[in-house]
Amino acid sequence: MSQPPVAGPAGGRQPLPFLARLRAGIARWWPYVPALLPLALTLAIVDSLIGASRLQNFGAGFFGFIITDYGILIFVVGSFLTSVPALVIAMLVGLGIAIASTTYLPRFLSEWLDPFVDLLAGIPSIVYGLWGFLIVAPFFGHDIFPTVAPALAWIPGFHPSFNSPSLEGTGLALGIIILTLMILPITTLLMRDALRSVPRDLWESGLALGATRWEVARHVAIPYAKRGIWGAAFLGFGRAMGETVAVYFVIDQTARLPTNIYAPTSTMASLIVSSIAQNLAGTDLHFLAEMALVLLAITLVVNVAGRWMIRRTFTDVAGL
Amino acid sequence: MGAVTGAPPLAAEDDLRRDRSGHLRGRTVLDRCIGWLLPLLFLVAIAPILDLVYWVASRALPTFTLSIITTNPSGAAGGLLSPIVGSLEILLLATLVAIALGFFGGLATAEYLDEETAGAIRVTANVMVGIPSIILGLFGFIVFVKYFGWGASLAAAGVTLGIFMTPYVYRATDLAYLSVPPHIREAAVGSGATPLQYLFRVATPIAFPSVLTGIFLAMAIGVGETAPILLATTPVAIPPLSLFQPASALPLYIWSGFENGLILPVAIHRAFQAAFLLLVIVVGLNVLVRIIAARSRRRLEGLFQ
Amino acid sequence: MTAESGAMTTPVVAVDGVSVRTRDRTILDKISLDFSARSLTAVVGPSGCGKTTFIRTLNRMAELTPGLRIQGRVLYLGQDVYDPTVNPVVVRRRMGMVFQRPTVFPASVFENAAFGLRLVRASEEEIDAAVTEALQRAGLWDEVHSHLDGPALALSGGQQQRLCIARALAVRPKVLLLDEPTSALDPAATQRVEATLQHLKEEIVVILVTHNVGQAARVSDRVAFLHSGHLVEVGATADMLERPREKLTEQFITGRFE
Repeated sequence: MSQPPVAGPAGGRQPLPFLARLRAGIARWWPYVPALLPLALTLAIVDSLIGASRLQNFGAGFFGFIITDYGILIFVVGSFLTSVPALVIAMLVGLGIAIASTTYLPRFLSEWLDPFVDLLAGIPSIVYGLWGFLIVAPFFGHDIFPTVAPALAWIPGFHPSFNSPSLEGTGLALGIIILTLMILPITTLLMRDALRSVPRDLWESGLALGATRWEVARHVAIPYAKRGIWGAAFLGFGRAMGETVAVYFVIDQTARLPTNIYAPTSTMASLIVSSIAQNLAGTDLHFLAEMALVLLAITLVVNVAGRWMIRRTFTDVAGL
Repeated sequence: MGAVTGAPPLAAEDDLRRDRSGHLRGRTVLDRCIGWLLPLLFLVAIAPILDLVYWVASRALPTFTLSIITTNPSGAAGGLLSPIVGSLEILLLATLVAIALGFFGGLATAEYLDEETAGAIRVTANVMVGIPSIILGLFGFIVFVKYFGWGASLAAAGVTLGIFMTPYVYRATDLAYLSVPPHIREAAVGSGATPLQYLFRVATPIAFPSVLTGIFLAMAIGVGETAPILLATTPVAIPPLSLFQPASALPLYIWSGFENGLILPVAIHRAFQAAFLLLVIVVGLNVLVRIIAARSRRRLEGLFQ
Repeated sequence: MTAESGAMTTPVVAVDGVSVRTRDRTILDKISLDFSARSLTAVVGPSGCGKTTFIRTLNRMAELTPGLRIQGRVLYLGQDVYDPTVNPVVVRRRMGMVFQRPTVFPASVFENAAFGLRLVRASEEEIDAAVTEALQRAGLWDEVHSHLDGPALALSGGQQQRLCIARALAVRPKVLLLDEPTSALDPAATQRVEATLQHLKEEIVVILVTHNVGQAARVSDRVAFLHSGHLVEVGATADMLERPREKLTEQFITGRFE
């Protein structure tokens, strides 16, 4: 947008009186103050976490920080073990929904169903958590896992030998499932937008060459929307990594690496939240701040990458 | 015209019913199958949520009485008055904070910064949206509870949640003012309006409904958040009397129920009732947003033609 | 050969009483028009007269627009393309189409031209040969043969549009439909496309929608003038542009319109 005019001659032959210069300076520069607030707040968050951490852990004691018995590594691994599978499923299902909505469904149906999916993004994390813990976990523990586990036992990591599927059903698998449901609306919405941005002419010229709708989606629309789809993956991953309460409710929070897919484990975010539950002591806060810095670094990188992929963002429906 | 009868047999390459390639059938069948299967994926997204709503409602409603929203919790039993009041108080404070911190930034970005700077600054707000809420909770704890010494309080929770909501308000404002059509600005400035007159008499009336929807959306997201307020306040049984007393909230109530094991049936019912109220508030705000957006779109349609 | 002599006498495309309606409007009203082999027909008319809808009914693209009701018959070599046993995918392969703006896909020049052949899993040799031939016929070979693997989006607008023509030609259609193909191009690029079309009409049926009478005069053998969904007049280009029979036609070609 245009800048407010700066008072006074551009050449500045006559020095302006101080007040006039001050006024001109304020008129010129004030917009930066509120506009830079989000950046300032982000930096304040980083600063507060650094202040609360013991930064020497990033120096000489770095390896100890990672792998000692109370190290950070298992939580990083736990975060990836839940987020990556959830992201893969949510991307595949989301892409399918996005293609259905943009290619196959009649307009009136997609206009009806799309806002419904958008609304799902707004369901509070804690409600997912409560439902996951009290309804889904017993159902999976009693009915699904005992049947499915033997059939899948040949897959590495799916063998429930070290500890049989708990009757509560909580653990890594349920964490992945709940996480998938929680990020599905976002990945769907972003990919739908990406596919919507494919010009109508391009769809039609694919069809005019004798391609079927699926072939146009597969060979024309998806390559065209590639950036947006990658952006959806990055932002969805950022969401998954940061998701806290719901995961904590269903993962059977235990600070160790999962031995198989039914085993309890912990993510970075769920560990922070569980430490809160056990009333933070001083040393814990240092450790949590350090882990929060790692988590923040990962999510910031992922988000910057995602936003860079989707330059044309602003889908505010779900407050993305 | 119409010389089909008695026409000489067509060469294979001219016959529309015989495809030269021979793959046609497979390709068409694949397309049809995908056309049926992909829409079914909507079920994958929607069915679990219908299940969630069903269970929350069926566990919340049978034992729902008016006394639940008029009495304070006592132990695992009692009502939900203090979480409801606390949620509303925290949300009110947070909304004020988010408007104070976010509105002017969005306005400045849309109206008073050159395109390139605005683009770069927008990225920072978008990235702030991606900060995990638990990290904001930790930030609020370190700064407001400890460093400022507010302790576990309504103030700490409201301000932390407000900071969490700030980028949403910022972006909604930015987008709202950005969507004022340029020809309207030119017409206003061309007819001699001062920048302030343009802002108050022209741009703001047009942008206001969108700003409002953005604020409501931020509230819908904020009211359901647990992590930002978890460290900043504690679930207490009575509503706070001042800013610096702890305030409970619906998500916190569910949280503490979970921490206490959710074993007693009454505790489970209360937790589901709190979840039900949260869902009603969130869905209600979302529906409100859609109504405002639809109405303002109709009102503004003339401007964009 | 009987097929050959049949093709000489029966039109390649015969439009028989085609009407297109939306719920409250008639876009095309009972159009009948034949297109014989090796001809270039220009369909002209003011904007909104239905000329784009007209060519979209020929290869069944019109049915992609929701809410259109299409009646009447379009015969391709005597076969009704709207017959329920006919797959629109096949119809569209036999009648290629080029759009107003260049619509190259985000891939290399070669892959753009090969798109239609990849769909039917043609062999690599077949594709190589067909792509080369199509690029030559579209008059683009000399400009792009050295960087076939380069991105198609790096080409100029005129080159992109000729690549779209080549892409349509690569599957060897007998009919090429063009919807104002030069409206987004500069005069030099327009000239190249028009030259290409003049070559093509020696081989296949070309149906060109244009709002530009000058273009119709330069490239077409025959002009069909559409106005508000009615076919007002058809005739050999020179005759019609010099001695229009209808008043509306005269008004249009002398520019007293729109």
